[in-house]
Amino acid sequence: MLKIRNVTKIFNKGTINEKVALDGVSLELNEGDFVTVIGSNGAGKSTLLNAVAGNFSIDAGEIFIEGNNVTALPQHKRAEFISRVFQDPMLGTASSMTIEENLVMARRRGHRRRLRKAITSRDRTIFMEELKKLGLGLESRLTNRVSLLSGGQRQALTLLMATLQTPKLLLLDEHTAALDPKTADKVLELTRSVAEESRLTTFMVTHNLEHALSIGNRTIMMHEGRIILDISGDKRSGMTMEGLLEMFGKASGKLLANDKMLLA
Amino acid sequence: MSWQILSGTLELGLMYAVMVIGVYLTFRVLNYADLSVDGSFTLGAAIAATLIVSGYNPWLATGAAFAGGLLAGIFTGVLHTKFKITPLLSGILTMTALYSVNLRVMGKANISLLNTRTIFTDFAKLPFLEGYAVLVLSLATVIIIGFLVYRFLLTEVGLALRATGDNELMIQSQGVNIEVMKIMGLAISNGLVAFAGSYVAQNQQFADAGMGIGMIIAGLASVIIGEVLIGTSSIGRTVVAVIFGGVMYRVIIALVLQLGLKPTDLKMVTAFIVIIALISPGIRKKVFSLTGRTEAAKGESHAENP
Repeated sequence: MLKIRNVTKIFNKGTINEKVALDGVSLELNEGDFVTVIGSNGAGKSTLLNAVAGNFSIDAGEIFIEGNNVTALPQHKRAEFISRVFQDPMLGTASSMTIEENLVMARRRGHRRRLRKAITSRDRTIFMEELKKLGLGLESRLTNRVSLLSGGQRQALTLLMATLQTPKLLLLDEHTAALDPKTADKVLELTRSVAEESRLTTFMVTHNLEHALSIGNRTIMMHEGRIILDISGDKRSGMTMEGLLEMFGKASGKLLANDKMLLA
Repeated sequence: MSWQILSGTLELGLMYAVMVIGVYLTFRVLNYADLSVDGSFTLGAAIAATLIVSGYNPWLATGAAFAGGLLAGIFTGVLHTKFKITPLLSGILTMTALYSVNLRVMGKANISLLNTRTIFTDFAKLPFLEGYAVLVLSLATVIIIGFLVYRFLLTEVGLALRATGDNELMIQSQGVNIEVMKIMGLAISNGLVAFAGSYVAQNQQFADAGMGIGMIIAGLASVIIGEVLIGTSSIGRTVVAVIFGGVMYRVIIALVLQLGLKPTDLKMVTAFIVIIALISPGIRKKVFSLTGRTEAAKGESHAENP
C-alpha cells in the first residue's frame, strides 16, 4: 500500500545548521494497517509524515502509494490518495469559511474543481448525517463560520473532512496533542471508529505511549531519523509502556554515550 | 449637494465600485496586498482610449482593457508564485513596469476622448436614457459584475480561491494548486480594475498616465468603509458592502471637496481614511474579527483550546 524506500531528508543542507532529519528510512505499510509512530522530539516522526504528504522534496529515496511512484508529485497532487489531520486545530480548516463550505471542499479532494455551485442540497443532507455522528451538535450549524468553533470541534471537523471521501492513506500528526484530555479522548475514539469502519491505512504520530500501544495494529519507534523499533502482532500485544520506555531510554542512552565520546 | 454633483458622484462611485470589487478579490479574498492595481487601472484607460481614438468600437476597446488587466494580474501572479517574489514587491514591480507600458500604449502622457464615440454616447442613444446614460450603464455594470463575482465565489473554484487566501496548507492538502488559484485571483482582480479604468476614461473623456496613482489606497478605503457600514456576515452581503463602500468613498470625497479642500488634497484625505480605519480599535475589531483571520481573531480561537 505505502512503500517508503531509503528516504533521506536533510534540512539546511550545506549550512552550519545542517540536520539529517530522515536517514535512509524504509517502511512498508499494508492495506488497512494502522501504524502508531513514537519517538522523542526531533526523531523524524513528523518529517516522515510530511515527506509522505509531499510538503517538501526529499534528498534521496522513493515513495510509492499503491504502486504509484509519488516521489516527484507536489503536495496537491498527492491529495488524491492522502488526507491528513494536523496537530494545530487551526490548520485543518479554513476559519473564515462556513462548516459546509469546508466540508464540500474536502468532499472534492483530489477532483477537478469546476465553475458550478459548490454546495447542493444533497451535499447538505450528507453533511448533516455525518456531523450528527460526531455528536457535537454541529449538524445544526452548517452555515456557521469555522472560526466560531472550539479547537476540539475543529479537530473533529477536520477528521470528518479527512474521511468524507475515503482516502487511501490517512496521516495524523499528533492530532489530539493540542486538545484537553476529554476532547482528546473523544477525537481519538472517533479516529478509531472511522479507521476501523473503512479499514483505512493510517499513519498516526503520537507522544502518548499508551495510545501508541492500544490503538492500531503496529507500532514504530523513531530515533535520530531512523526507525529503531517496528513491532506488531504478538510482540506488540506483549509490549508494555515500561518496555517502550526502556527502549526509549536505551536509544537516548546511546545518544548520551555518543556525546560523551564526542566530548572526550 | 446639488443634483448635478450628486449624480456625478454616484456615476463615478459606481464605476470605481468595479475597481473596488477587484481590490476586494485580492486584498480580502486572497489576503494579498496587490499594488499592481495602480498600474492596471491606468492600463485599462490607456488601452481603451488608444483603441477608441484609432477608430475601434468602444465596447471592443472596453473588452480589450479587461484583457489587458488580466495579463497584468497574471504577470504579478507569476512573479510571486513561480519566482517567489513577495506579494508586495511583485505588485510594485508590475506597477512600475506598467507605468512605462502605459506610456507606450498611449504614445503620449494623455489622450483626449472629447467628441468621440464611447460606450456612454452609444448608450445615450437608447430611448429614455438621455441624461441618465452614464448613471444607468454604470449601475447596470456594477450590478452584473457584483452578481457574477458573488456567484463565482460560491462555486467550487470560488471556494478554493477563498480557502487559498484563508489557509494555504489546508487547501493544498485538499488537492488544490494554490499557485494557479493566486494567479487566477490576481488576473480577475486586475482585469476588473482595468475594466473600471476604461469606464472612467470614457466618462471623463480622457486618459492620463497618472490617473491610477493612489488607486490601491482608494480601493482599500472603500472596502473598509463598506465592511464597517454594511458588514461581512455572508459572501452576498460582503459583495454588496464592497460596492456600497466604493460609492460611499466617492460621496465622502465629494463632501470633503464641498468643505473647501482642493482636489489635490484628495490622496492625503484617502490615506487618512485608511489610517483612521487601521488604528481605531473599534473599527479595526469590526473589520477584522468578521473575516476571522487576524491576530486578534486567531488569539481568541486559540484561547478556546487548552
